[in-house]
Amino acid sequence: MMEREEGNTSNTYGITKRTILFGVIPFIVLGAMIILLLSSPGILFQSSIKPLPEVSIEKVEFSDGNVVAFVRNTGPSEITIAQADVNDRIHPAAIEPGRTLVRLADARVIIPFIWNAGEPYDIGITTDDGTRFSKTVNSAAPAPRPTIEQASTFALIGTYVGIIPVMMGLLWYPFIRRLSLNKYNFFLSLTAGLLVFLGIDALLESNEIGVDTVAPAFNAQILIIMVAIVSLISLLYVSQKLVQRASVRSRSDIEHDMGYESHSESHSGAGRDFPTFGSSLSSSQQQLLIRPIAISMMISIGIGLHNFGEGLAIGAAVLLGEVALSSFLILGFTLHNTTEGLAIVAPMAKSRRIPVTRLLTMGLIAGVPTIMGAWIGGFLYSPIATIIFLSIGAGAIFQVVYSVGSWIYHTNGNRGLLNNPSIITGFAVGMLIMYLTGLLI
Amino acid sequence: MTYSRVGLLIGITASIVIALISTILYSRSSVSVEDSSKTDTVGGHTPGYPIVRTTGDVLDPTSSAIDPKAAVVDPMKYLRDFNYGRISKLSNGTSVREFTLIASDQQTKEVSPGVLYNVWTFNGTIPGPTIRATEGDLVRITLINNGTKFHSIHTHGIHPSEMDGVFEGIAPGGKFTYEFTAEPFGVFPYHCHMQPLEEHITHGLYGVYIVDPKKPRADADEMVMVMNGYDTDFDTENNFYTVNGIPYYYMHHPIQIDKNRLIRIYLVNILEFDPINNFHLHANVFDLYRTGTKLISDEYTDIVTMSQGERGILEFSYKYPGKYMFHAHKTEFAEKGWTGLFLVKDGTAQSVSENSNVTSVRNTTSYSIRELDNTTNLGATGGLR
Repeated sequence: MMEREEGNTSNTYGITKRTILFGVIPFIVLGAMIILLLSSPGILFQSSIKPLPEVSIEKVEFSDGNVVAFVRNTGPSEITIAQADVNDRIHPAAIEPGRTLVRLADARVIIPFIWNAGEPYDIGITTDDGTRFSKTVNSAAPAPRPTIEQASTFALIGTYVGIIPVMMGLLWYPFIRRLSLNKYNFFLSLTAGLLVFLGIDALLESNEIGVDTVAPAFNAQILIIMVAIVSLISLLYVSQKLVQRASVRSRSDIEHDMGYESHSESHSGAGRDFPTFGSSLSSSQQQLLIRPIAISMMISIGIGLHNFGEGLAIGAAVLLGEVALSSFLILGFTLHNTTEGLAIVAPMAKSRRIPVTRLLTMGLIAGVPTIMGAWIGGFLYSPIATIIFLSIGAGAIFQVVYSVGSWIYHTNGNRGLLNNPSIITGFAVGMLIMYLTGLLI
Repeated sequence: MTYSRVGLLIGITASIVIALISTILYSRSSVSVEDSSKTDTVGGHTPGYPIVRTTGDVLDPTSSAIDPKAAVVDPMKYLRDFNYGRISKLSNGTSVREFTLIASDQQTKEVSPGVLYNVWTFNGTIPGPTIRATEGDLVRITLINNGTKFHSIHTHGIHPSEMDGVFEGIAPGGKFTYEFTAEPFGVFPYHCHMQPLEEHITHGLYGVYIVDPKKPRADADEMVMVMNGYDTDFDTENNFYTVNGIPYYYMHHPIQIDKNRLIRIYLVNILEFDPINNFHLHANVFDLYRTGTKLISDEYTDIVTMSQGERGILEFSYKYPGKYMFHAHKTEFAEKGWTGLFLVKDGTAQSVSENSNVTSVRNTTSYSIRELDNTTNLGATGGLR
């Protein structure tokens, strides 16, 4: 008996060890294969053809008397840069840190060149096998330098594009509060429409950047989808936790608030189609109170992430000389983004009154990232970072769409979404508004 | 309250994380770093252009020489290198000149500083050796095909059909001797005539064949110049243009000539893809003998434009010492390598160092001759690197 027990224990112990062993064996085999392939290249697979080089010019900056191209070796093997040119005419240049680039390494090519503002330039580099790679800049403009003036310019742009429109949108709060349930559903679904548009827009824009600017080696398109999905599911998780925690922790708070809230509600007279809140709370009534604020907060965060990506894109566009910043352009962005404020306030309209400071906080969460995005995009432009943040933003937006959608489902009396014409119209109008204001940009 | 506090926290954290990630991902500063430990300068060739200091490498084919071992040709050696062949006499007194050309198509050589290209060559250089005979001589050119493709030699001039190098290619490992009488006098190209013709020519299978008149031309400092190009990325457009094989070579190694000495250039345009090419001489005019088949000057000019395969003889002398450019006046070609310099010396000394200071000219905005001789080298890019 004792022996058997001992045997059992050692067996259990052995299984743990063996489990580790079984887990490791594939890695050992893999390692052996890697060593075999690398130590004697050509023993199994032999090719006399040198792999084609691939170089990406990620960014071209124009400064005083210089053109600076940021190049990256995105090909399969090490390359050496031999020459640089402007408009396909050879020019002496410096390359830092050096002319030889290992895979995925980058370098700066500095070409002394007197350029003319506003003119297009084609900047090229030639690798040691004589292949030329080039990037066309539509309109040369001095690169933004991280000076106080430039930083405040970007801050101003961010304020106009991000903060002011969102804040203006928040001004619709009292209006939404006074709507009947059906009209409220219309505006909720309008919000969903706006957000869906924003999400698709972010995906398309990051796809465009990914295709045009990012080297194929980075697989930008799959990266976009991947980041958006991860962003979506992790924010779904976060929002669920947020609602759960809030409902557990602040039940007493809410119950206290309720008395005050139902009082003011009866004064406003807006709750005609809406269940009146009594002193005793059913779980569905609790949801009515808690979820809207959580949804609004998630919308602010989602829009904040989206605006960060938008800020990156704006800063980068200024840096790359792709847009001339004009009042008209800023006006277009302002109109376009005003709807974002509406999206934030819409879910909260039928809950208790929201303090102004909290509204402002949500507005700032949604708007301020635009400024930071513009700084980072303008001073440290990187197409990869831009598409990553745009995709995170897209995922966040779709999470918010999900929340808003389930909220509409709820306010629609759990009777589905597609049976109510005001929901369908709202959704369509929301997207149409975004499309039309988007034409101004 | 809790929601806004949590939200605010998430918002702030997210912003910080975003800012950090972006900064870490792309903390590449665009401000030039100045480090005195190892610096080179670039720029300053052109008056008014800034001079950039760099700790990295310099990419400058206009002033950096090519490694002679890897280079497809030594343009300075090629310039005045005329091959008269192994000379013997027939019983009737006719001179026989025998030449051997070895074709190859497997080498990779440097055609511009840092740029390697699969060159197809006669005797290992682009252009191939200059063959020179006198009108009436019997010329024998033995082609040994050391390559992997069929090759031939098609010489311009008068000769029988079977010596034309068009219908009979020489197989890899094969050998053939072309034999014909050198006529008429003039300057001619020779090149491989196998299909695809453009491919065989643009890869480098060409050279110059000169037939002197029986009564020699006046004594002169003679040189041969072949205008060509390289399509290194195979898009049927030239990436580089040169005279004598290496872009910009005579910019950092100016051709030294003597003041008032008659200069004679045998100029051949073998450029592919572009229909025309031309030669422009600075601060001078030359007598042009088109195709070199007459002894009377066709034109007194400073530009000659040639289509593919055209050539001529140029004669001139410089009145004033100094540095003078010559280049394609199709400026695109000039800015892709077809540019050079004559350095006109006052005395008769021929053996001045080739590695003379060129950048001094390009670093000054003054064009006074006296200053040209006295300026100091401001850049570090001149000469051999």
